[in-house]
Amino acid sequence: MNTHPYLRAYLAGVFFPTLGLPVMLAGFLVLRFVFQVPFPIERGLIFPLALVPSIWGLWNMLWLALRATRPIPSGIHGAILPLLLLPGGTIIARCLGILTLGSNGVTWFQSCYVPYALIAPCFLAAIAGYYLVWKYVVGFLNRTFGIA
Amino acid sequence: MTPDTHTHDNSPDEDPIRYLLHQALPRIGDAAQPRRDLWPDLLKRLDEKPAPVPWFDWALLAGLLGVVVFIPASIPVLLYYL
Repeated sequence: MNTHPYLRAYLAGVFFPTLGLPVMLAGFLVLRFVFQVPFPIERGLIFPLALVPSIWGLWNMLWLALRATRPIPSGIHGAILPLLLLPGGTIIARCLGILTLGSNGVTWFQSCYVPYALIAPCFLAAIAGYYLVWKYVVGFLNRTFGIA
Repeated sequence: MTPDTHTHDNSPDEDPIRYLLHQALPRIGDAAQPRRDLWPDLLKRLDEKPAPVPWFDWALLAGLLGVVVFIPASIPVLLYYL
């Protein structure tokens, strides 16, 4: 099976975030309509729903393209992605009003306050999560689709 | 498929459907069988045990769960960046 490897790489990349989106969407809807959270949480869905899956697919295509010249493990490749997603997602969140910068910390969704001192552990946790997901889930899909 | 049958099938007058099928489908050729038995390879692959998860990955998972447990406010933030 040697046809359309980049298409298969894209599909392998979008698999995990696409699978998690209905769960996340359900969580946001429960918060908004069941617990009556007085904030338009749906604004926060734009970035994860519209952009993140495509970015994952494109990132996996880039991994496939780089594999011929500079092969790196898929886990390491995936761990680099938060370095790009963090500023992009933060700018979008700031523009949509779901992120408020304070003097001692940031407030997400007008309810989740994260002090600046805890942003670094959160960011490291995101990198760890991306590393594990890309190593075990995306790597498995790449092997299954015959591109790894 | 023997050469005789193939020659016989080449006549469109006797069985036009068979003739059209033979024209449309490419011939398999003489090397229709694999060069070696592939079944042992499949059995070997089925018997392979998955590589053990290294301790470093367990530590990363524990750290991730620790952040989620001790900083619950990070949950929507992490979901946002998923």
